Amino acid sequence: MWNSIELLKYFNSLWKLNFVSVPSDMPAKAASNLGYVPPDGGWGWAVVFASFISIGFAYAFPKSLTIYYKEIQEYFSISYSQIAWVSSAMLASMYAAGPVSSILVNRYGSRPVVIVGGLMVSSAMVLASFGTTIVHLYLCVGVIGGFGLAFNLQPALTIIGTYFHVKRPLANGLAMTGSPVVLFTLAPLNQFLFDSFGWRGSFLILGGLVLNCCVAGSLMRPADKKVQTQLKSEPRESNGADEPPADNQAVEIQNESTKKDCVHRFIDVSLFKHRGFLIYLIGNVVMLFGFFGPVVFLAPYAKHLGVDEYSAAFLLSIFALVDMFVRPTIGFIGNTKWIRPKIQYLFSFAVSSNGVCHLLCPLASGYVGLVVYAVFFGMSFGMVCSLLFEVLMDLVGAHRFSTAVGLVTIIECGPVLLGPPLSGALVDIFGDYKYMYYACGVLMLVPGLFFFIMHYYNYKRLDEEQRQRPSAEMKTCAEAVRLKMNQDEAQE
Amino acid sequence: MMQASWMLLLLAWGGHANTKTVGQTLPPVEPDVHLLADVRSVVLQGKSHTDKVDVPGPMNLTLQCTWTANGNKTLNVTGYWLKDGRDIDNSHVTLRLENQQVHLKRTFLIKNEESLGRYSCMFGNEAKADFILAVPHISDVRDKPVVSYVGDSVVLACKVDDRKPEPKTWLWFRANGTDKEQITTVAEPQKYQIKNAGKATKLHVHNLTRDDSGLFYCAAVFTIGTAVSHLELKVITIYEPLKPFVTIVLEVLILVTAILLFERGQSKKSQVQEASEKEVANAEPPATNAEPPAINVEPPTSTSSATPSGESNGLEKSSSARQRKS
Repeated sequence: MWNSIELLKYFNSLWKLNFVSVPSDMPAKAASNLGYVPPDGGWGWAVVFASFISIGFAYAFPKSLTIYYKEIQEYFSISYSQIAWVSSAMLASMYAAGPVSSILVNRYGSRPVVIVGGLMVSSAMVLASFGTTIVHLYLCVGVIGGFGLAFNLQPALTIIGTYFHVKRPLANGLAMTGSPVVLFTLAPLNQFLFDSFGWRGSFLILGGLVLNCCVAGSLMRPADKKVQTQLKSEPRESNGADEPPADNQAVEIQNESTKKDCVHRFIDVSLFKHRGFLIYLIGNVVMLFGFFGPVVFLAPYAKHLGVDEYSAAFLLSIFALVDMFVRPTIGFIGNTKWIRPKIQYLFSFAVSSNGVCHLLCPLASGYVGLVVYAVFFGMSFGMVCSLLFEVLMDLVGAHRFSTAVGLVTIIECGPVLLGPPLSGALVDIFGDYKYMYYACGVLMLVPGLFFFIMHYYNYKRLDEEQRQRPSAEMKTCAEAVRLKMNQDEAQE
Repeated sequence: MMQASWMLLLLAWGGHANTKTVGQTLPPVEPDVHLLADVRSVVLQGKSHTDKVDVPGPMNLTLQCTWTANGNKTLNVTGYWLKDGRDIDNSHVTLRLENQQVHLKRTFLIKNEESLGRYSCMFGNEAKADFILAVPHISDVRDKPVVSYVGDSVVLACKVDDRKPEPKTWLWFRANGTDKEQITTVAEPQKYQIKNAGKATKLHVHNLTRDDSGLFYCAAVFTIGTAVSHLELKVITIYEPLKPFVTIVLEVLILVTAILLFERGQSKKSQVQEASEKEVANAEPPATNAEPPAINVEPPTSTSSATPSGESNGLEKSSSARQRKS
């Protein structure tokens, strides 16, 4: 394996190939990369609410459908693994459609994509309610539904980057809270629908409910790009001639991008030379193998230890509640002036704490121990989820975020799908849950430490790059403006 | 619940002869080697204990009770057995405490449904243990009705727990007034299908109509008796879920229209604002050129005119910059 010096040399050589490195301790400077000043409030909060809904449905909807599986399984006379394919198909489509979603968002903006996504999921559910075979369900709920949810998730994340810069971690944290909140609402609602209408009627009504994503989409007004900054000419220089911003709604930038290569505009492969992006990608792929397994097995593990069914379900509720409150809190903490410049460290800490939590889980004895574990797990899980996309935005900048998140989701498809079955296999092979927890703990602790080390070098590197730039560009935009104002004062 | 009423029926008919005797005569056992044998033991911790025993078929069941006398000095205890609260003849034994413990043991021949019931071992008036012998009962089924649709089909399922013995066969019944009518696939093969698989059974009902709503009974038939459980089926038309669906769609349409209209209204207002401010801006060119629209890292103070009023924001910021300067 490479030692740190060779790694540094590799990244150094990459930098010399002239790729973008967004200095992450200069938030105002990165804002100018957008080409305009984001509102950081106002209608932005309505957009945060809209993203809350979209992200909530995207993550919580597949999980909440599992309530119907038992009846559907009996209805079609199939095995449990066959019905579980519906969830897997939905998740796989959601992640695989990431790049498609990114391309559409780059081209048309967030609003139309979310509305189309909402319509897709809705029609998928309505069609599924008339389904006659299980394959019908795979296609409707799984594939079409998954695509529709992807068309909700990506734009919702992207639009936050266009509306917020200074308060972006808080906005991201608030939007990501949608996932546990919607899950909390959908779970009893689905139970009620099932008791009243059976699975067909419930699918029909859920199809209606999901149309609320279209409402969320209509709230996603495109951010006003007309507020240009005078310093926008400088960011375009630092971007380099071959890195057009993905957002081509600003007029000047649009003229430039139309001259660029078609493929290059759609799939920004140059991201793979981006140091921060690579760090994020590598760490995340490893981490995701161990991320969802413990959630899936929390209740079964509790039952295995002799806890009764209701108390085991209550553990999940505790986990979800803690998750719900931690996400906006971490968003707020990430926004503070002490943490914001070094927010990557907070993310590294979050990932590592997950790992430590799982490694210590087998020591938990009795129900009280499990409750303590559920609380700490909820905290760590919420921390990671809240920061998951904020740190990516921080690394690649808001205008490349859309493409970046598309690439990231399709690559993450693998570990997300394979994680829980592999964890299950570990449990089956050893007949004991503790090996699965050790494995998941290691799978999260190692990326956490990896993030710490790599981001330490990355920050150092970024600091050096800044120092090497001409002095006027190095200062923050505000400082530069003040400088200019002082100069004007001096002149008068 | 059902089995209890059936048992009462049988006991009432069969037990008629028993009401004349004071106690029940259960002769001591000549173990029949062809029958299964099982042993159940209980160590009494407190004053009483209850154990449930599943009896699928005729068997020789040995029941044992152990009691620890806690600090009582009485040397002798009278131990005896009860069935369903009535003394069993010839069961009284005087026991001596050995290391503060006494044991009671008796083998019962369980040959038919009458033999089932509550058997209690009594230690004088100090302690007792109950063994409830019953036909293995069916796992808890949904207490809420199963919902399905007219023209659709539905599967009703019953099963016994994995740990319990397997029934000989399963039967299904349909409520007909106060009676139960057995469902046979012979009569209507297109309508009903019964699939028995050992510890589970499934009834498929096809071409549902409103009349199919009601109670269905599944019966697990064991050698010694039958356990019954019931399921409720509710058949509704597609119009039932359609009503909330249409309501929600309407709500979505109203909200989307309202939001888009609001946005259009706002942008028209700001276009008017922009036009008027452009005139103002043209009126004083030097002042505006001196201050570029300042990068304001604080959020704009006027939240309502956040987006479309780009120019007005810029002018506001330049005025605030002017204020800061002065």
